[in-house]
Amino acid sequence: MQELLNTLTLGSIYLLFALGMALAWSTIGILNFAHGAIFVFSAFSAHFISDFVPLSMPAIILISVLVGATLSALTQWLAFEPILKRSKNHRSAELRILIGGIGVAAIPIALVDWATASAPFGFANSSYSTQVYEIMGLRITNTSLIVIIAGVGIAVGLTLWLRRSRQGLGLRAIGVDSETASLMGVNRTVMAIGTMAIAGGLAGLAGALQVFQLQAMGVETGDQLLIKAFAMIVLGGLGSMAGVILGAFVLAGAESLIFAANMGTWVDAVSFGLIFLVLLVRPQGIFGRQEVRRT
Amino acid sequence: MNWTVPRRAVAAWASVLAVLALTACGGSTTASTDGGIAEEIRMIGIRDQTGPVAYAGVGAARGAELAVAEVNEQEYLGKGVSLVLEEIDSAGEIERASSEVTRAVSDSEVSVILGPIQGQQSAAVAPVTESRQVPIVFTQSASDGVVIGDYTFRATAPMHTFYHHAAEYLADEGLTDVAVLYNSTYPTLAELAEKHLPEMAAAEGLNVVESVPVQSTTQDFTAQAQALAGKEPDAVIVLLLSSQSVTAMTQLRQAGYDGQFVGNTNNAGGNAAEAGEHSVDMVYPVDFSAAQQDPEATRFVTAYQERFGDLPQTYAAEGYDAVWWVARAIRASGDSSREGISRGLQQVAAEGFTGAMGDLTFEGNDMRVPGVLVRWDGERENIVSD
Repeated sequence: MQELLNTLTLGSIYLLFALGMALAWSTIGILNFAHGAIFVFSAFSAHFISDFVPLSMPAIILISVLVGATLSALTQWLAFEPILKRSKNHRSAELRILIGGIGVAAIPIALVDWATASAPFGFANSSYSTQVYEIMGLRITNTSLIVIIAGVGIAVGLTLWLRRSRQGLGLRAIGVDSETASLMGVNRTVMAIGTMAIAGGLAGLAGALQVFQLQAMGVETGDQLLIKAFAMIVLGGLGSMAGVILGAFVLAGAESLIFAANMGTWVDAVSFGLIFLVLLVRPQGIFGRQEVRRT
Repeated sequence: MNWTVPRRAVAAWASVLAVLALTACGGSTTASTDGGIAEEIRMIGIRDQTGPVAYAGVGAARGAELAVAEVNEQEYLGKGVSLVLEEIDSAGEIERASSEVTRAVSDSEVSVILGPIQGQQSAAVAPVTESRQVPIVFTQSASDGVVIGDYTFRATAPMHTFYHHAAEYLADEGLTDVAVLYNSTYPTLAELAEKHLPEMAAAEGLNVVESVPVQSTTQDFTAQAQALAGKEPDAVIVLLLSSQSVTAMTQLRQAGYDGQFVGNTNNAGGNAAEAGEHSVDMVYPVDFSAAQQDPEATRFVTAYQERFGDLPQTYAAEGYDAVWWVARAIRASGDSSREGISRGLQQVAAEGFTGAMGDLTFEGNDMRVPGVLVRWDGERENIVSD
């Protein structure tokens, strides 16, 4: 039972990070490799301010979300939109955006690296304190509960919004065919910047909650999560938010089982090997659809 | 351009030959060709000033800068003789480090290289300097394949050579049941946990109740913390990287563990501060601490603070002692040529000397330090034993 609770917490951390990345990739076709850097820089910005002024948890989260949203929207406006306009077709644009994302990521990471001298940073000056609860032999912290509620709640909310709201349907239309969507009155540029702002805000939220949960973040944390998020999205099936949720908890479950067996050295090999096996049987991912590239 | 396969092959070979020609044409002449000490002795420092371990590169460069200033002010190598140090950023990239070292060995004016700090970079450049007979003094670089011959030297002692302070402390305090949480993908920590620590435990009568490996990518330690706390050890030895240590100690406390934490050099210099109250009273062995009270260390700390405004970390002490090793080598051999410096470095290594890190001894070309055990009080390090 404790393993299940641990899986739920770890999966929620992964989910919060992957949601923004999956949203942008599955709707407007942006595989943003700067997502990890935005995640780190947002949390660092909140850390930087909270070092001067003691802040509550909601204030820290708000700062991190705003920084993430701004940085991500600016990345779309100043880097990805010009790439899209100058590319001959979507395939060449995808590759350029991927490389552009890596280039953009280097700037905030270099700033954090310079400011922290690669030392871990956290919210030591925050007024928030973690409490541990023991219920029927199970241990859980208040931060874990917040992470689980935020992760699952936002994932379900985002899935419903994409399926049922007018803006969500517009976004999914862009994912299927952006030209036809434009003809139907969907403003692709505005929707794309808005989507990237939401994705960046989610990265900021994930960054702040991860620091509260794990107490500290290193400058390399974003890169490590980026690879895992990529695997989760592909495992769940590109275009399916439900798939991302499943992918996050499958990866977290596999890791928790390996940790429980004290085989920590093999955690990446077994987890990613498992994903590889699933993709051999179902290349489009668990919830992916073969006939539609993105929805 | 539609290149055929043979044309590409020719171009590739031409590139390789061009690089080889560049390295070969430099020759081995140095500023001093007559066996004496040149008026200006040029050194190149190639270390990470940016990138994930920039803190170590910047620290080493600062320590080296201070040592060069002292050598020149004291006219240690004779009147009018000066050391000149140029720092180049290897930016955390093996390719850049290799390229800069290749350029340095090709420049006959460069007498000695102060090498990279990352093991992989150092292992890549060591054969180049060895084959071109250019002395290079590494700091950090704990990997195998770094000190490989007469021209490769290392001014950092492997952590396992001074980790016995921790084992002795645990035995003295009666904390005999210990658990180990370690990073199995980081060679220095893995080797310490899997090979040296069991030997030390056996020698000191410690009982390792559990040893849990994790990877460098592991960020959440909830499961491991609960498993370790369940064993109720007297002490948990945390052999993780700095940000991992912060999380692991916090989650161990949250899992109900209230015993002693024993860390490693990655926790030095305030890297455990983010763990707040959870890291208070943690002890860890280091090769240098600004809290050391021996005369050479306190003189170094004072000089460093005057020059840079903050306390030196272990990396600065290593960079400082590396330059003083070179300066002593030149004076010992009376020769500032590459060959003379190599010979001198070995002469000094055979005798040992007292540096910022204490009484330094050597195993071949590899430095050994006394090391100290420090306690983190939440704000600064305090010496426990030396």
